Amino acid sequence: MASRAGQEKALRLLRHLPRVALNNIDHPNPKPASRRKRGAHGGDTHGAGDKGSKARQHFARAGFEGGQTPFYIRIPREDPYKGHHLRWEYPPVSLHQLQLMVDTDRVDAGRQIDLTQICNSGLFRLEPLRRQFGFQITDEGMDEFVTPVNLEVQWASERVIAAVERAGGTITTAFYDMASLQAMVDPERFFKRGVPIPRRALPPQDAVGYYTDPSTRGYLADPEQVARHRLTLAQKYGYELPEVKEGPLTERKDPRQIFFGLEPGWLVNLTDKQVWRVKDPVMSEYFRS
Amino acid sequence: MAATMYAGCVRRLLFSCNSQCLNTGASAHLSGFKSAYSLDKLYPGSNLSFTASVPAPSNDKGFSGYIPIKELEISYSRSGGPGGQNVNKLNTKVDVRFHVATASWLPQEAKDGLLQKYRSRISRDGYLLVRSERTRSQHLNIADALDRIRYLVTDVLQKPKEASPESIEKHRRLHERATRERLREKRHRSAMKRQNTVDL
Repeated sequence: MASRAGQEKALRLLRHLPRVALNNIDHPNPKPASRRKRGAHGGDTHGAGDKGSKARQHFARAGFEGGQTPFYIRIPREDPYKGHHLRWEYPPVSLHQLQLMVDTDRVDAGRQIDLTQICNSGLFRLEPLRRQFGFQITDEGMDEFVTPVNLEVQWASERVIAAVERAGGTITTAFYDMASLQAMVDPERFFKRGVPIPRRALPPQDAVGYYTDPSTRGYLADPEQVARHRLTLAQKYGYELPEVKEGPLTERKDPRQIFFGLEPGWLVNLTDKQVWRVKDPVMSEYFRS
Repeated sequence: MAATMYAGCVRRLLFSCNSQCLNTGASAHLSGFKSAYSLDKLYPGSNLSFTASVPAPSNDKGFSGYIPIKELEISYSRSGGPGGQNVNKLNTKVDVRFHVATASWLPQEAKDGLLQKYRSRISRDGYLLVRSERTRSQHLNIADALDRIRYLVTDVLQKPKEASPESIEKHRRLHERATRERLREKRHRSAMKRQNTVDL
């Protein structure tokens, strides 16, 4: 705040200075719109210059830069669908859907819920020939999932693992190759082929990291490390880790096994209700390796 | 090729016809098949139990990050803001509190630090309050609240870094130079203003 003397001095000054107007202050001054050259001084070439393609309305093609390699050729192409026919898919099953299936008895929560169980419910279909390599569990309904289940899927995020373990269940991520998948998706059809149960292949190189990692509950991970990660996750998401007793909730297949109770190499005869084992030592060794 | 090889073996040798029902639930978890890649062969030293209870890390030598969840009081309520039926009906807001002075899992240094630095978060009864309505999910909000508690404790236990004598000297010189420069400009500005005033 200026003093009394300062105020009076300022007012005295104002009396001698010119009135504030647009011509004596700094203000934005837009250019007037350009107008077509017409009339006495706008004639002759009408702003188009002399000769050339521009004066004759015969312009060069769009993107032409006078001979310099144009931008649209200079920049390399990136194909958005490159390799789309080789990319693997994991159709989603949400926790909400899973809870609904368990509640409505579409799926048996007393046994391991794996790919076959989900397909047998009739609600989900997996098409291995369309590069669908299994199911992934999504986190929709994670707050309402309460049933302890023994879950085996092909991919699950950290939140989903936390939701399942919080409810008192267990979750494993496992890999199945094409031949095993086709057996799992429709076991009855597979057994009718009269072909021995194949040996499940190990995951490809880029998936080995995922399936040997205890934090993603990979089926090839060290179980002791998995137990430690269970505690870490419980600490992260703020729940007391429930006690899980050895039994139906902890049963797991061998990494080479496709069906529970059936080994690779066995032949299932549905008509005579028989299961044939391998006795040849060479073949037996092959199927157990 | 494998199929024809197999067929040959079956025809040549004795095969055992095992009449059994397929994959009964009763014997499912007793399947004893072990291939060359079974977990006991991949991890020979492991106890092979992925649901074994792991001992909780202790907080005696400093805060390890472990918080015993049963010693926290977690309550839920409805969140604020827009969201329609979801926000009106679901209890997604989380309130986590614990009594600082009697928390057995906190080192004394952390307790003193919390009571001093974060006293605005501590109620009159001595409870540290952390609320979260950050996400649409109650579980994720609990995780957020716990993350915040861990941040507060580690922040309070952090010792300030000691500056070396060289950097202290450097900062002193720079400050002195800045002050000199500031005063010089101030004097210059004052002189210019005096010069530009109109004497009526």
